[in-house]
Amino acid sequence: MNTGYWDDTMTNPDSTRDRKDLQEHRVYLHPVPVRIWHWVNALGFVLLMLTGLQIRYVDLFRLIPFETAVQLHNWIGFAVTANWFLWFFYYVASDKVTNYHPDLDARSFFKRYFDQAMYYGHGIFVGGKRPHEVQPYDKFNPMQKLTYQFLMMITVPITFFTGLMMWNVEYFGGLIDLVGGIRVVNTVHVIMFIMFTFFIFVHAYMGMLGPKKSSHYKEMFTGWEEPHD
Amino acid sequence: MKTVSVIKPLLLAIALLGMAPAVSAAQETAGAEAANPDAKCVKCHSRGLKKKLEDGETMSLKIDVDMFQTSVHQVIGCTGCHRDVAKGKHPSREPIASARAYSLKHNQTCSQCHAAKFEDYERSIHATLVASGSDKAPLCSDCHSSHAIQPRLAYEPVNGEPCSGCHDDINQAYENSVHGTAHRDGNVIRGAHVKAPACADCHKAHDVSAVASRDYLVSTCMDCHEVAKLAHEQWLPNAPMHMKSVGCAACHAPESPLRVNLQLYDLLADAPVGAGDEYTAFREQLEAIDGDGLGGMDLWRLIRLTERVGMDTSVELRGRLEVASGMDAHRLADSAQATRSCESCHDGESEAFRNVTVSITGPDGLKQRFNADSAVLSSIFSIDSISGFYAPGGTRIKLLDYLLVLAVLGGLAIPVAHSMLGRIIQKQSKKANQK
Repeated sequence: MNTGYWDDTMTNPDSTRDRKDLQEHRVYLHPVPVRIWHWVNALGFVLLMLTGLQIRYVDLFRLIPFETAVQLHNWIGFAVTANWFLWFFYYVASDKVTNYHPDLDARSFFKRYFDQAMYYGHGIFVGGKRPHEVQPYDKFNPMQKLTYQFLMMITVPITFFTGLMMWNVEYFGGLIDLVGGIRVVNTVHVIMFIMFTFFIFVHAYMGMLGPKKSSHYKEMFTGWEEPHD
Repeated sequence: MKTVSVIKPLLLAIALLGMAPAVSAAQETAGAEAANPDAKCVKCHSRGLKKKLEDGETMSLKIDVDMFQTSVHQVIGCTGCHRDVAKGKHPSREPIASARAYSLKHNQTCSQCHAAKFEDYERSIHATLVASGSDKAPLCSDCHSSHAIQPRLAYEPVNGEPCSGCHDDINQAYENSVHGTAHRDGNVIRGAHVKAPACADCHKAHDVSAVASRDYLVSTCMDCHEVAKLAHEQWLPNAPMHMKSVGCAACHAPESPLRVNLQLYDLLADAPVGAGDEYTAFREQLEAIDGDGLGGMDLWRLIRLTERVGMDTSVELRGRLEVASGMDAHRLADSAQATRSCESCHDGESEAFRNVTVSITGPDGLKQRFNADSAVLSSIFSIDSISGFYAPGGTRIKLLDYLLVLAVLGGLAIPVAHSMLGRIIQKQSKKANQK
């Protein structure tokens, strides 16, 4: 059975819950590895941003000693990097990688991108139809897809890599010189942090734009899409 | 006639008899001089002889014979050094321009026996200063004296001698330092026997160098503190980088004021930009701006100067946090008192980054410093001009702070603006539906 948004492999005909989901046309969007990755990543990024702020702005506030902030930042950085690999290998090994496939028809993609922006700008307030139908293999709308592709493939790896270089300046000295010096590395790292800061506010807010304010948050815990009109 | 012939020998005999004591004395003196060739010199130079110099000053020619008798040069005697006298040409009539000129002339004398030491000396900061025309830089006799030259061990500067003669403030700092007190207490620190360094242990005895003139003064300290690298790696993140870009004294002389020195370095020559003609453009640019202090843009222009003047090399500014003066470098404290707080540097308000200089190597081998505005460390231009020197927090780029504020404001504004837009649209939609 394939309804277009239903993944047969996600159902167990003997399961009462799955039968209920089938009846409600609910979609299993976020498999366990993705949810683990997401929340570890979310917690890790918040902690990285807080410890990063402490490292950078000792003169403005002192919640924890600088030395502790550096140690925490390093360890959390490694944990979040390892977590990124969980995300990466899960998607590489899974057929769900289609969620991140680029849309090769740019004209069509940007038309849908514009439709999605219009929905967020107007339709969402007047009960308009969602331009993008969420499906397990295509769960991101064009705005999400472009954002997450950019974040996960470019911004996050650059942040990890620049962080790694600063973690051991001596060992990565040659590479640091190659890219223009420690200030270049740090500046890029901080610009990434600034982008994440902006993203995290907007991301947290857009998470509240589901059928209910809590819908998308619940989805990221249960994996199942919440009912919508 | 016969009478005359008798009287003459008689008178001669009487005369000879009368001279007998004088002849005897002359023979004794000749004997003494043969036994001690210096006696002849001492005869005059133990008295208050003086010579009028061409500069109007008077030079004493009196030798403290007792001191000379105790000196190591006693065995070679006066003519060991004063060989021009030995040739029978006593130079008393030769005019002497000044006492300094006389010492300069005789400085080479030492090399006749102490060639190796003299070669060392000629490489020293002292000899460089002499060559550059300094009338205060020490010659051999300024440290060793002219005639009271003592054995090597006597120069162990327990009391700062001979260095304190010129470097008294530094010697005071040294004597109160952990090195100086340990040295005074018989090479004991916290009950343990150590070899506390005296001046020459770090600066060397003859090829004396200002330690700070070397690329990495840390190596001087490491000669004794071999375990320091390992000890720092136990607790200090990026310890090798810290030890490369922060002078030992910056933390181990915790009472000393700090400064950041940005050394202009020629990458092709693999040496600091120096006094050579090829660097004239750099000197001129630094001297032209120094009055107001170099700004962020000035430093950026400075490292791009090679392109403008067509030099086939490139330069960079190598930053280093160090104590503000040579005297401060000697105020080393016990390691237990060393600065260990990261916040003392990694704080945007840190005193460590208030004082910034740009340096090139002057003709005397010492750093020639030019003042820079401390804002250069947080300028956006520093990404390129001071690319290798960065202390997270302490020298952060201010423009990025503003970007962060914008990101936070933008991140907050979007939800607020979107919510407000929603209310307006819903209100309008409601009105439209009612109509």
